[in-house]
Amino acid sequence: MLIASQTPEYDRLDTPVATPLTMGSSKPKSSNRAYFEANIESCLGRLYGTALQLTRNPSDAEDLVADTVTRGLDKIDTLIDCNRFIYWLLRIMTNHFISECRKIEKRTGHESYVEEPENDEPFSLYERLHQPFLLWWGTPEQDFLNKTLTEDIRAAIETLPVNYRVVVVLSDIEGMSYQEIADTIDVPVGTVRSRLARGRSLLQKALWQHGKESNLIDQKKPGQ
Amino acid sequence: MSMSDDVKIIQCEEAIRKMLEYIDEELHQHDHASMEKHLESCRECYSRMEFEQRLKSMVKDSGSEPAPPGLNKRINKIIKDY
Repeated sequence: MLIASQTPEYDRLDTPVATPLTMGSSKPKSSNRAYFEANIESCLGRLYGTALQLTRNPSDAEDLVADTVTRGLDKIDTLIDCNRFIYWLLRIMTNHFISECRKIEKRTGHESYVEEPENDEPFSLYERLHQPFLLWWGTPEQDFLNKTLTEDIRAAIETLPVNYRVVVVLSDIEGMSYQEIADTIDVPVGTVRSRLARGRSLLQKALWQHGKESNLIDQKKPGQ
Repeated sequence: MSMSDDVKIIQCEEAIRKMLEYIDEELHQHDHASMEKHLESCRECYSRMEFEQRLKSMVKDSGSEPAPPGLNKRINKIIKDY
């Protein structure tokens, strides 16, 4: 097996890369390349999971991971800090994905990348579901989450326009800080903050609509 | 003067506005302390915070998906042929 069987001296994520090394007997490789080969396999699950959330289908997700690996090899010299290898890959993946979405949008006229948020009120699932007078003997909002399946959440993420989907995935699935997301997609932190708020609002709205259509919500209750 | 004396008292409206940033651990220290103080005494906001935290956790769990077996092979080939 090629991956992980070579370059054992780079098997730790915190190994600093400073100068190119000669690996093996005759074929010179940069230390970054060796590090990449030794560690990419351990990142595939995370890359695929993120790609799946972004692209919304398994085949496109595999293609996105493959493109990310190829682009990573192209840009191998830009890998400065090996502690941030996965974030470097996610940055390549996210930017490639956004760029492809923009190309498709330009070609088809289909708007999947909404640049500016609409000026509508934030949607709160909690406010729609919560019944204060039931506080001591019932929690409809928690009941709703009990009935919500992973597939429901995935379907709701799928409905998000690309720019909101990206920040929700990087924040809530990848666990990145606002600054890390800003660095990854090259936007100001304030933009991350507002897109995340808007993205979560849209996500909750999608869950609410799905809940109504699937009869997960008792629509006889006041305000529903 | 102790740190707790400096904690700004906030109302529900402000707590709700800052709740997601609190859950994301993105608030500055003083705002974070104000949120904690508010949540200690406001059952309504605490209940809301629990809901938002649980939903965020469910979103995180929805992203766990093992890479398909064929992907590993495909990536190996890309690296080998590069």
